[in-house]
Amino acid sequence: MRRLFAAFPGPLPVRVLIVMVALAVVLVALFFLFEWAGDLLDSGGVVGPGQ
Amino acid sequence: MIGLGVLILVFLGYQLVGTNFLTARSQDLGQQTVEEHFVAAQEEIEVVDTLPPPQVDDKDTPEPLPHEDEPPVVHYGEPTPEDGLAFGVMTIPRIEAEHVLFEGVDRATLKKGPGHMPWTPLPGQPGNAVVSGHRTTYGAPFFDLDQLEPGDEILVETVLGTHTYVVRSSIIVAPTAVEVTDPKRGAWLTLTTCNPKFSARERLIISAELVDGPNFAYALADKEFVPQEAS
Repeated sequence: MRRLFAAFPGPLPVRVLIVMVALAVVLVALFFLFEWAGDLLDSGGVVGPGQ
Repeated sequence: MIGLGVLILVFLGYQLVGTNFLTARSQDLGQQTVEEHFVAAQEEIEVVDTLPPPQVDDKDTPEPLPHEDEPPVVHYGEPTPEDGLAFGVMTIPRIEAEHVLFEGVDRATLKKGPGHMPWTPLPGQPGNAVVSGHRTTYGAPFFDLDQLEPGDEILVETVLGTHTYVVRSSIIVAPTAVEVTDPKRGAWLTLTTCNPKFSARERLIISAELVDGPNFAYALADKEFVPQEAS
């Protein structure tokens, strides 16, 4: 983890910023992944042509 | 591999436990909103239609007796709630379930609790009112719906009062079986949810008929009413 952090370009504040942006992207991606996979478990029970 | 395992555990924890907290909060807020809705919508109750009272079969006479001396039965309408608004409370004694109902069946609304399909009549109104709900996530309001049997009661409270339904059938259909939402004579409540548990492969459909409530007499008359052909 430290090696990865050290491999980021730029001074410390820039690297911290990169890590924060990367974390945000991962969290958003996880949210959408969970929503999509959650529909496989239980889509809400609606009946219709698009289900 | 460990990371993937952790991810799956986090996913299952979020879906099966975490989402319940979100829905519990929405239900608490919905309880307050529904009480406000009952007060605000009280003034918008209106008489939509009237019908002759239903005929009663008398075994001593060959023809059903028209009750001409009785007043017509009344169809009471209530205002259509805004999308996402809490408008009623549904109680199912057999499975000890009580949930605030919301208007709409979009993803965001169903996270709050069972949702009413806006293109069907509201519960308590003549026709086929359809309500959908999650089976295993977001509070799992319909988790035990498969335990309902013909004869079990479902109570729905709206601004008009309490509407009592009795379960008539329980079937399993494909998710695309839109015919379960078709209009019906009389007054019906159709509950739809995912089936089997932890899968969205099929739909469990509970069909219940109105047996008491403000519009019961009208629904009964509507079931028997044959419109006169224009001459």
